Amino acid sequence: MSTTTTRPPRPVRRLAPLLVVAALLAAAGVQAQGEPIRIGFLIPLTGPLATPGQDMRDGFTLFWEQVNHQAGGRKVQVITADTTCNPDQALTQARRVVHQEKVHFMVGPLCGHEGPAVAQVSKETGVPLLMDTAGADTVTKWDRTPTVVRTAVSASQIGHPWGDYLYRELGLRNVTFIGQDYTWGHEVTLGAVQTFRELGGKVAKIIWNPIGTRDYGPTIAAIPADTDGVSAVVVGVDRVRLFEAWFNFGMDKKKKIYGAYWMHQDVLPQMDERAVGLIGNSLHYAAGLDTPENRAFTEAFARKYKRLPSWFAESAYTTGLWTKTATDAIKGRVEDRAAFLKAVRTVRINAPRGPLRLDEYDNPIQNVYVSKVQKIKHPVLGEVLTNVPFKTYPAVSQFWTWKPEEFLKRGPYKR
Amino acid sequence: MTPARLAGAAALAVAAAVLPEVAGPFWMGLVTQMLVFGVLALSVDLLLGHAGLFSICHGSFFAVAAYTTALLEVRYAVATAMAAPAGLLAGTLLGLVFGLAVRTRGVYFILITIAFGYVVWGVAHRWSSFTGGDNGVTNVPFPAVAGVRIDSHTEYYYLVLVAVALVALGYGRVIRSPFGLALRGIKGSESRMRTLGYDSNRHLYAAFVLSAALASLAGVLYVYYNRFVNPVAASFPVSVEAALMAIIGGTGTILGPFIGSIIILGLRNWVSSFFELYAAIMGLVFIVAVLWVPEGLVGLAARVRGRRAPAGPGSATG
Amino acid sequence: MATGALLQAINGTSLAALLFLVASGFTVTFGLMRVVNMAYGAYYLLGGYVGLSIAQASGSFALAVVGGGAAVVVFGFLVDRFLIRHTGENHLAQVLLTVGVAFVVGDVALKIWGGDSLKVPVPLFLRGAMELPGGLVYPTFRFVLILFGVAVAGVLWVLYTRTQIGAVVRAGVDDREQVAATGIDVDRLFAMVSALASFMAGMAGVVGGAFLTLYPGAEWEILIVALVVVIVGGLGSLGGAMIGALVVGLLDAYGRWLLPEFSYFVLFGPMAVLLLFRPRGIAGKDA
Repeated sequence: MSTTTTRPPRPVRRLAPLLVVAALLAAAGVQAQGEPIRIGFLIPLTGPLATPGQDMRDGFTLFWEQVNHQAGGRKVQVITADTTCNPDQALTQARRVVHQEKVHFMVGPLCGHEGPAVAQVSKETGVPLLMDTAGADTVTKWDRTPTVVRTAVSASQIGHPWGDYLYRELGLRNVTFIGQDYTWGHEVTLGAVQTFRELGGKVAKIIWNPIGTRDYGPTIAAIPADTDGVSAVVVGVDRVRLFEAWFNFGMDKKKKIYGAYWMHQDVLPQMDERAVGLIGNSLHYAAGLDTPENRAFTEAFARKYKRLPSWFAESAYTTGLWTKTATDAIKGRVEDRAAFLKAVRTVRINAPRGPLRLDEYDNPIQNVYVSKVQKIKHPVLGEVLTNVPFKTYPAVSQFWTWKPEEFLKRGPYKR
Repeated sequence: MTPARLAGAAALAVAAAVLPEVAGPFWMGLVTQMLVFGVLALSVDLLLGHAGLFSICHGSFFAVAAYTTALLEVRYAVATAMAAPAGLLAGTLLGLVFGLAVRTRGVYFILITIAFGYVVWGVAHRWSSFTGGDNGVTNVPFPAVAGVRIDSHTEYYYLVLVAVALVALGYGRVIRSPFGLALRGIKGSESRMRTLGYDSNRHLYAAFVLSAALASLAGVLYVYYNRFVNPVAASFPVSVEAALMAIIGGTGTILGPFIGSIIILGLRNWVSSFFELYAAIMGLVFIVAVLWVPEGLVGLAARVRGRRAPAGPGSATG
Repeated sequence: MATGALLQAINGTSLAALLFLVASGFTVTFGLMRVVNMAYGAYYLLGGYVGLSIAQASGSFALAVVGGGAAVVVFGFLVDRFLIRHTGENHLAQVLLTVGVAFVVGDVALKIWGGDSLKVPVPLFLRGAMELPGGLVYPTFRFVLILFGVAVAGVLWVLYTRTQIGAVVRAGVDDREQVAATGIDVDRLFAMVSALASFMAGMAGVVGGAFLTLYPGAEWEILIVALVVVIVGGLGSLGGAMIGALVVGLLDAYGRWLLPEFSYFVLFGPMAVLLLFRPRGIAGKDA
């Protein structure tokens, strides 16, 4: 079976209406394969995570539009189901799209805690799942399901290089870690702590905050006086709160803070000048990444949606690319689940975030970028804040530099 | 039972029996859920419709039972024969503790149960080293007792059907018993019952614990169906919806909570597939139910048929 | 550690100021009108969002505060007049009804303002930090909030205990029928008190939205804590709301600082214990 490497086609905006007509004609003509390929797209459309969910939807939609909703010679139909970032709902919707809508495979979900629930449905029914955002380590390590692969990132995968960065590049030796108190937060933070400590760094303190912590005052108050740097892992609402608290308590004059997982593109519109120059993220994607694939992607995204894409959007876009590549490789026969999964596991992709392939544990090996928040002049959007990478850790695996067996024996990062 | 009622019950039984064949796995799963949550709504209604107490913490017992069973099965490989009763017990024990709330009445009672509910949710959420936090507990196996294994969702559906039928029968006995009568007497006029020599607090406490046990049973049934549990099961909306199911269907009846469950779950699944403002719809349903259908659908049907309807929630007569 | 403890005391007090704004309306509404309004959290959210939009459009924080409050007065009036009015003293129906209202408001707000956490912009002179005696650096806004809360509490207290209207309200809280029997227009009294309560909730939303941010779910978070305030302080008592707010605010701050995993316990534990021994709270009226 041959594997192909594809690039997403250059979007040609002015020809968009023509593409639509062409697509219609093509769809009318392509009755050869008959049945369209149905993809179950599980994302939160409503609820507090609606905004990242929307990002995912926009990224996914953009991709399929660019390829005329075609893969492997068949038409592609995306069936979107609202999980509301609630595992119960995710479970019900996953079962619905499998049993009612008869999808050939599923993509999603977004929220980390929905991941295991949807994976369970994949296990029950045998329908393949491409987990394109939910990042709990265990899904591609201890608790694997043969029909589930991950196309996004495993939490500690971005934490490990960060620990290295803190020690080697920033020269820090006594770091305070602020982490969000749930699986993703634990794994990113403790992954960084692990590599930081192994290099000889000392942990001044780890401060855990439950998701939705109203008040970052106590956290600020708990930062030890002798620490030489603060690392932040915060999600959702808390990203803005920590930001405000940091400046409101005058900490910007006393200490330095670095974001391991903090200033994503989707929160930058709410930030201001004070964010410029801060290290925003150690992540597998940054909108400011300067490669041809990413420039094409961000421009197309910006033109269509009038904003820059976050990693949620890129993840969905790339998963679209991934599934198309795999489907093309097996000439559209997605009913053969084993063949489909094998194709997904063996193709190599040039995604906007960089080159990608899966390791033997079904997690991507990819670059991790440490980026700074900068104000740039975007050709479409004018002056915007965005993350611009300035250090790349190439081809990082979820196991960092350890052997998989060694890593697995250690067990998951728990606080 | 009148012939019409008997025919209705028979038709229902037949429909329930052939559902998996006729409707497919998705609907069967949905109906299983409706039955399980119907039991939860029933537990709330024992207090609401018969004792006049509005508890918004029954999601706690539901969740504690579900978590106990799930953790025992998944983490400690305890067999169903022990795990299921343990779940039931755990939830009931919590009911013994929370039941202290019956020392208060009226709005204070409501507020206390809300607060209790949040404590349990908070623990499930934050004590992630034990409960798994937001991730919850996954891959709970199907129940298996003494060599008899459930192997599919279809078999589990029938198990739940039988269990619910038994529960309904038992529940009917309880509410028609002198104990049930005493409860309704207290709901009607506590002072009068006291002068008659009834220890109202003791009765209410017993009712509370019993309802907690019932909610725990729903929790155990739930976790074997869903094979997954997470803090959402203990959240405020779950408890509120259970109460709403009882009210919409008709409090003080056996069928009412189940009808309410069918309506609420059906609405959620149906509406959310094409309309985004699902929570707003639910809110409107609350409002409409309270203002125009306080006696629930069962009461409404009775009213339409010209009979006297069972009184609505919170009212003094009953 | 001493600065930490002092910092938490100030944090707790600033939260208490906010809680007082939300809880006082709820408790007086109950005390006077026997209405349990679980939509108070939604009022907070609505006021906050409206204030946010006003602040973004006009650049004036003061206008946002007043506008947010006013919007809730209007909305609250509609809810009172067309919905709550039909429930009489049926607390259960009120709870369900107002929870339904809160669901609707929350969802519509999500649709209009989106799911991101939004911050109400604050005027320049209130931004940043100020140096307190002892070298403590503290956010200016939150410190001013404490002063604001004290001022509002003071004004309310004076109104409540030293004016004629306040006397009538107090009498009404004690015994409504008597007040009606003396010929006072009880309906208008209720409407006024309700409007004031709504205004405070809406105002609290704008003020809270400036440092806690506004986001889906905020309405339940603030409501549940305000409920604890009201339970601890006692339903119907304004003084109780003040004490309760302070107690809860400090418990919350210290709890989060020392035992972040059990912060809900720290809040509800004392409340539950208090209730078992003193169901009416510190200064509460008959349910």
